[in-house]
Amino acid sequence: MKKSRLFLALIFVIGVAAFVVPAVSSGSSNGAVNWGLAATILVILVIVAFFFEFEAAAISSKEVALVAMLGTISAILRVPFAALPSVQPSTYLVICSGYVFGPVAGFMVGALTALVSNFFLGQGPWTPYQMLAWGLLGVLAAYFRRLNPGRAGLIIFGIVGGYLYGWIINTWYWTSFIYPLTFRTFLTYQLTSIWFDTFHAIGNAVFLGFFGMKTIAILERFRKRFSWRLSSEPGGAQLPSTLSAAGGEQQPL
Amino acid sequence: MISFRYREKRTVIHKLNPFCKLAWVASVFVLALVLNNPIFLLLLFLSTLLLVITAKVWREWTSFMKYAIYISLTIVVVNTLVSYQGTHVLAEAPFTIPVMGTPTITLEAIIYGMAMSIRLLAIISAFAILTLTVNPDDLMLAMIKMRLPYKSVLVTALSTRFVPTLISDVERIADVQRSRGLELDKCSLPKRIKRSASVIIPLLSNSLDRTVQIAEAMESRAFGSGAKRTFYKDIKMSRMDIVTVIAGFAPSVLGIVMLILGFGDYQYYPTLGRMDLSGPEWTMLPILALVVSSVVFLAFLKRGVDLD
Repeated sequence: MKKSRLFLALIFVIGVAAFVVPAVSSGSSNGAVNWGLAATILVILVIVAFFFEFEAAAISSKEVALVAMLGTISAILRVPFAALPSVQPSTYLVICSGYVFGPVAGFMVGALTALVSNFFLGQGPWTPYQMLAWGLLGVLAAYFRRLNPGRAGLIIFGIVGGYLYGWIINTWYWTSFIYPLTFRTFLTYQLTSIWFDTFHAIGNAVFLGFFGMKTIAILERFRKRFSWRLSSEPGGAQLPSTLSAAGGEQQPL
Repeated sequence: MISFRYREKRTVIHKLNPFCKLAWVASVFVLALVLNNPIFLLLLFLSTLLLVITAKVWREWTSFMKYAIYISLTIVVVNTLVSYQGTHVLAEAPFTIPVMGTPTITLEAIIYGMAMSIRLLAIISAFAILTLTVNPDDLMLAMIKMRLPYKSVLVTALSTRFVPTLISDVERIADVQRSRGLELDKCSLPKRIKRSASVIIPLLSNSLDRTVQIAEAMESRAFGSGAKRTFYKDIKMSRMDIVTVIAGFAPSVLGIVMLILGFGDYQYYPTLGRMDLSGPEWTMLPILALVVSSVVFLAFLKRGVDLD
């Protein structure tokens, strides 16, 4: 637990520094800070912090196996659906996983999608950014659930998520290869990937619209099967999903 | 169908310790981001080629590079279009966009974009070598040894292990649906997406049932007992291996030294600096190439030591 605190403190310090340093330093050239490197280190630290969170949250073998399996499904769905670039069912599955199993599981499924599928597509400096982008979609989906969104809400979430994903991925290229780092160049760089992001967003909306609710129903059933409690022993012998922070009734066995 | 990018090959690079290759890739990544001078960046890129040739992964490496070239073109184009700084103005728009300013194309921006694409090529080349020469299982083992959160690494290893199983599941389910007369391949994209549900939904319930089995299998092996686990396959660290790991870290150390000494820097804006290198910088060039490719020489040396 202490380690995860340390990581959070480190992330916080770097995050604050990222805002303070450009304001203080007057250098207009590349400056004292290598932003490409700084951003990558920050992203990796955030991912490791989530890993520590998972370490504490996943108590039983069931949670580990469940997250691994969802990650695998999502990863393999990313690969063969290459009719159009960026149209793939991975994102929709990450969103559904986060929605049902909570933020930590959602993040892990998202991160696994990128990490595992890149063993087949190719690892690169983009891997941590993809892990973070998909992971955050899983986390956001878990909190999004509290608003009680219907099918329409999910579709909107998918569209916004598609663009958000593209933004996070582009950050790496923008910080490492573009000069100067201003809001204007940031926006212009986003425009170069607008088609991919739009296809991604439409793909998410279609997948979530067609069978998002059905998938959630299936996952929900598994969550109930997994998180049972022996009602005869109060407080004892429980296999609760700490992962299912989204709540919901627990079925007595 | 899809398969790992990694292929078992008997080259000295494949036999190198995974820690060494991890350290080397991280180092090249840092070095590429630290260096600014296009000549140094080009040399860094060329140095990675030595590993590609030694590892005999030339063909697979080219497929990585196709993707890299596409992105490097966008980098040149975007830099040219967005950076209005620079004194060598090649073209200027006759209008001014509010907030954005007057669009200007400068020589500085083009050169900067080109240097940055070399930087990208060097980074992608290094990562391609990692993907192509390190067995994912060894990578996972290295992650555990590096004391990364154990359950997260375990989840990754489990997930990677189940990819082939689930792919054959997908194929089986698709065959079943086809035999029932469902057209999955030759129809319009919206239909294909809609019909992919007939594969995804059964796949989900099928494989989630399997998680119960996995969990039971894990518990029967005393997962979560807190006892220290044993490894069927271990990464042995000989003295030679430690030397190669140190050699793997060497490029990043060199990068920091060069940063402090001011080597490898180059002025793009507001006016391009002179391309010719100073005396000490000339001596730095072979040192850089040597440090980056030192792992190759050590790999050959290691084979000699292992044979003895």
